[in-house]
Amino acid sequence: MTKLAPAPPMAPPTPPARRRLRRPSGLALVTWVYIAWSLVPVLLAIRFAFNEGRSRTSGQGFSLRWFWTDPTLSVRNDPTLWSALEHSLVLAGLAMLIATPLGTALAIGLQRWRGRGSGVTNILTLLPLVTPELVFAVGLFLLFTSLFGFIGLGTTAQVIGHVTFSISWVVLIVRGRLVMIGRDVEEAAADLGAPPWHVMRRVLLPLLAPAIAAATLSVFALSIDDFVVAQYMASGADTTTVPMRIYASARAAPTPALNALVTIMLALTLLALVLAWLAYKRLSRGQEAGLTTFAAGGTK
Amino acid sequence: MSGEIELSSLVKRYGDVLAVDEVDLQMPGGEFFTLLGPSGCGKTTTLRLIAGFEKLDAGAILLDGVDVSGKPPHKRPVNTVFQSYALFPHMTVAENVGFGLRYKRCTKAEAARRVAEAMDLVQLGALAQRRPAQLSGGQQQRVALARALVLEPPVLLLDEPLGALDARLRVDLQVELKRIQETLGITFVYVTHDQDEALTMSDRVAVMRGGRVEQCGEPRALYEEPATAFVANFLGTSNLIPATVDDGGLSLGEFRLRCDVDGRSGEALAMIRPERVRLEPRAAEGENRVPGMVEAVVYMGFHQDVRVRLANGALIHCDVPNDGTALEPASGDPVSVHLPASCLRVLEP
Repeated sequence: MTKLAPAPPMAPPTPPARRRLRRPSGLALVTWVYIAWSLVPVLLAIRFAFNEGRSRTSGQGFSLRWFWTDPTLSVRNDPTLWSALEHSLVLAGLAMLIATPLGTALAIGLQRWRGRGSGVTNILTLLPLVTPELVFAVGLFLLFTSLFGFIGLGTTAQVIGHVTFSISWVVLIVRGRLVMIGRDVEEAAADLGAPPWHVMRRVLLPLLAPAIAAATLSVFALSIDDFVVAQYMASGADTTTVPMRIYASARAAPTPALNALVTIMLALTLLALVLAWLAYKRLSRGQEAGLTTFAAGGTK
Repeated sequence: MSGEIELSSLVKRYGDVLAVDEVDLQMPGGEFFTLLGPSGCGKTTTLRLIAGFEKLDAGAILLDGVDVSGKPPHKRPVNTVFQSYALFPHMTVAENVGFGLRYKRCTKAEAARRVAEAMDLVQLGALAQRRPAQLSGGQQQRVALARALVLEPPVLLLDEPLGALDARLRVDLQVELKRIQETLGITFVYVTHDQDEALTMSDRVAVMRGGRVEQCGEPRALYEEPATAFVANFLGTSNLIPATVDDGGLSLGEFRLRCDVDGRSGEALAMIRPERVRLEPRAAEGENRVPGMVEAVVYMGFHQDVRVRLANGALIHCDVPNDGTALEPASGDPVSVHLPASCLRVLEP
């Protein structure tokens, strides 16, 4: 007997066949294997940072010796490691402070600029994203040792290098949001009597805040992570960053203190990214829906 | 402040494209003026020129006799309601409405009172603390309106404000917009591509095409005495029949039609609204009657669209009201079509 039951008006039960299709177990397996494969080396490095003994290849108990307590070899007490950590943080801080405002201004400017040269500039701005880092670093090296010799190598050159390549990321992130915001709200603000400076302060910047926060912390992560540019722009021991220190001592007589340093860097980078994500979520709460309504309203 | 606008020889180019081409319009204070036209006709650009979002290439914009064309948007005494509403998503409804009051000289208490008044005017009082994202399209539209009206501008510019709303809501808001405009007595410059909106709300309408004003006048005048075939077709539907003007009358092939030829001669278009065409039995006699054959009858509910092929080959649409009295034509019936002389207009081909 065939009986045609009317379909329930809402939420029809998913047939089992479709549910199986939606979650192919093979793909899930491959994904998990890949994640494990890419994380194992990192997790191993972190594990040995907490070693009790000197070995970086076999587990020897747990301690914070290499982070803090060892009187000469820990990150805290080995001056070369500690100064590298300090220098990395100083570079990242300066890069954040300089690249974010510059990049934001550049993004707003490029977004508005309609005319001769705007297309070329758009591409040029994004060029550092695809330029091989080594080429970029060698270029800067030649620049600072010959043409701009008065700047020379050292911290200034390192900061300029980091700012230069991270500005592209700031522009990319901020422009993405500018496109989403659209020009209407700015025009509306001006229409209601707000002078340009107020349009910026009362409307544009609050709406851009999530993107600016995300960009700032991305710059931090990029700068902390950079090896090539920092290496080329370095002038001596006091301009050694963490990646440079790790690279230099990897072949000498490495202790788990190196792992500890790596772990600190990893934690800082992850923290920056998590903060960026949280800031974006928090600052854009209630805006997303509003902005998408605009978009929907505009296209109908 | 009376809100009188005079646009003289407005020109706006985008590269090689003339978006607005020598537009001259006068809007007396307190008028509901509509710019009507298909997309790309320059109506929105004209509005944006008045608001100051676009720089004009030539011409002048006089507001109560003062040329404002050199002023930036924030110094012009006009306010705009955007098609996208353009509410500030990071502010509450009350903050949105109060945004512009900061630039008016008024105390905090007075600002609060004016915000409350504006919200009452658009019937939104209860939603003051919501965010725009928590409102429906119609409510957002009202906030956008309140945000502009709270500043008591002499002129309000509206750029397809109902374009994103569904049909039911649109009719409700049409009535409300008209009520608000009449209550406040300020000038509305309203941009739309919807002929119904233009006809029902406006005091006067300018039909635009290709950056120029095709015709400007009261809705009734535009509908009943269109100056061009474009206006005749854009406002409602029209029968446009190729014909020849000679001896003070129209020739439709071998048939003569009496009508006011308005001093024209040669090739022309005979224009008549479908609801003015009368269907009569085949044998009907008299002037301005042309025999034809019913080609199709389309049932539309309140009326029927009868398509008749005239003896000279032209197809003519005829609205037959569904009032139970008219004859019920069927496809293939021979009929006589009466084109009353008073309803015929002769237009440039």
